[in-house]
Amino acid sequence: MPIVETEKLTKIYGKGETAVTALKDVDLRIEAGEFVAVMGPSGCGKSTLLHLIGGLDRPTSGRVLVDGDDLAELDDTTLTEIRRRRMGFVFQFFNLIPILGAAENAALPLVLDGVKPAVAKAKAVEWLERLGLPDRVDNRPDELSGGQQQRVAMARALTNDPALILADEPTGNLDSRAADEIAGLLRRISSEWGRTVLMVTHDPRIAANADRIVFLKDGTIVNETYLESHGKGEEKQVRERMELL
Amino acid sequence: MSVRNALLGLLGQRPRHGYELHAAFEAVVGGKLNWDVKPAQIYTTLSRLAERGLVVEKALEQAGGPEKRIFAITPEGRNELLEWLAAPVKTEHQRDKFFLKLMLSLATGEVDPGLVIYAQRASLYQELHDLTIQRENVDPASELSRIMMLDRAIMHLEADLRWLDMIEARLDDIRRQPLPEPKARPRGRPPKTKNDSSGR
Ligand SMILES: Nc1ncnc2c1ncn2[C@@H]1O[C@H](COP(=O)(O)OP(=O)(O)OP(=O)(O)O)[C@@H](O)[C@H]1O
Ligand SMILES: [Mg+2]
Repeated sequence: MPIVETEKLTKIYGKGETAVTALKDVDLRIEAGEFVAVMGPSGCGKSTLLHLIGGLDRPTSGRVLVDGDDLAELDDTTLTEIRRRRMGFVFQFFNLIPILGAAENAALPLVLDGVKPAVAKAKAVEWLERLGLPDRVDNRPDELSGGQQQRVAMARALTNDPALILADEPTGNLDSRAADEIAGLLRRISSEWGRTVLMVTHDPRIAANADRIVFLKDGTIVNETYLESHGKGEEKQVRERMELL
Repeated sequence: MSVRNALLGLLGQRPRHGYELHAAFEAVVGGKLNWDVKPAQIYTTLSRLAERGLVVEKALEQAGGPEKRIFAITPEGRNELLEWLAAPVKTEHQRDKFFLKLMLSLATGEVDPGLVIYAQRASLYQELHDLTIQRENVDPASELSRIMMLDRAIMHLEADLRWLDMIEARLDDIRRQPLPEPKARPRGRPPKTKNDSSGR
């Protein structure tokens, strides 16, 4: 069973003359553990897709299934619950709490969930170490570089052990070196730590880290490309091409 | 020419024999996957350099093993090397195999140009993916020059991908325009008489 499945997912903002179709009939399946990048021109519906899959917004029509659960059939409380337990969000802006240290920031979702602060912090430190910040756990955001702050935000998204990480332009605010590092970590989050990652980016170099790239245009999927890491890529692409022609 | 001058440079470092030069060339370009030169080409290049007096055969080495011809750079060779090093390198960005394919897909109508673009994009992303992984596995503390070459390839791929996006966005406009054709010329050779004043 795919971890995410959308069926004819459609989102129309506004009504009548001013209505904007942000997504139209999008069918997307994402298998557990996959790292998928979504690309496309500005305004093509990338963030909308991520928000609908993350249950941050409701579709106009069509369905989103997460782990087989139809998000539309859940009441707000259950939806919030699923968002907290099964999903982690990472955005372009890190949105860390200025007065808290790195570990406290990363532990916050667990603490708000009622986990004992000491236990939550231990979990947060564990992720900060995996993400390469073992010696920054007590630093406040203003004492961290952009790339380091984004790692704290990633640790925050991971402390509650979600199966699915949703990232909207996670490197949009970083220079190319820090961006590369974050992209490499996102890949490890999928390949080493088994999470599913759905990432929006407009940077080809960042997208190239994924297992698959989905291209959106005017609210629909126009292309998909699978990237293979073990030299099988070419063979597969040739097959894809043959099917196309 | 570049191979030839690189050999001059490697001999400028110190005298070497042919086999050693081949290995040194491979190492400096970052492996034969980047730039494959066959040993035979090394030897023919060496003889041509020797004919022109840019290198000399210095001595035979024979420490027990088989006889090896050792080459060294001459002062003339060093002058050529300096000239080459100081001269800028022209790029070839206006000659592009993919562009040719795209134009022919437009001209023949045999394959949808959109599919040609798609296949190219998929391939570029695969290359970018492979290079990104390679780059991550190179140690910057000891192999920075290799990283520089990988970065060059990565940056060019990024540029190619952006260029594809641009072409795709304008594909309908391109389709609407007539394809470039040779300029119409009168048949046969133009007459070459004294009275002919055309083109003056
Ligand atoms: N809350 C909203 N109300 C009205 N229209 C919206 C709203 N959110 C998005 N849109 C419109 O929906 C379309 C898709 O927007 P979306 O934010 O998903 O694009 P995007 O692909 O993420 O673009 P970008 O790369 O610029 O972030 C756009 O035309 C946008 O103006
Ligand atoms: Mg967006």
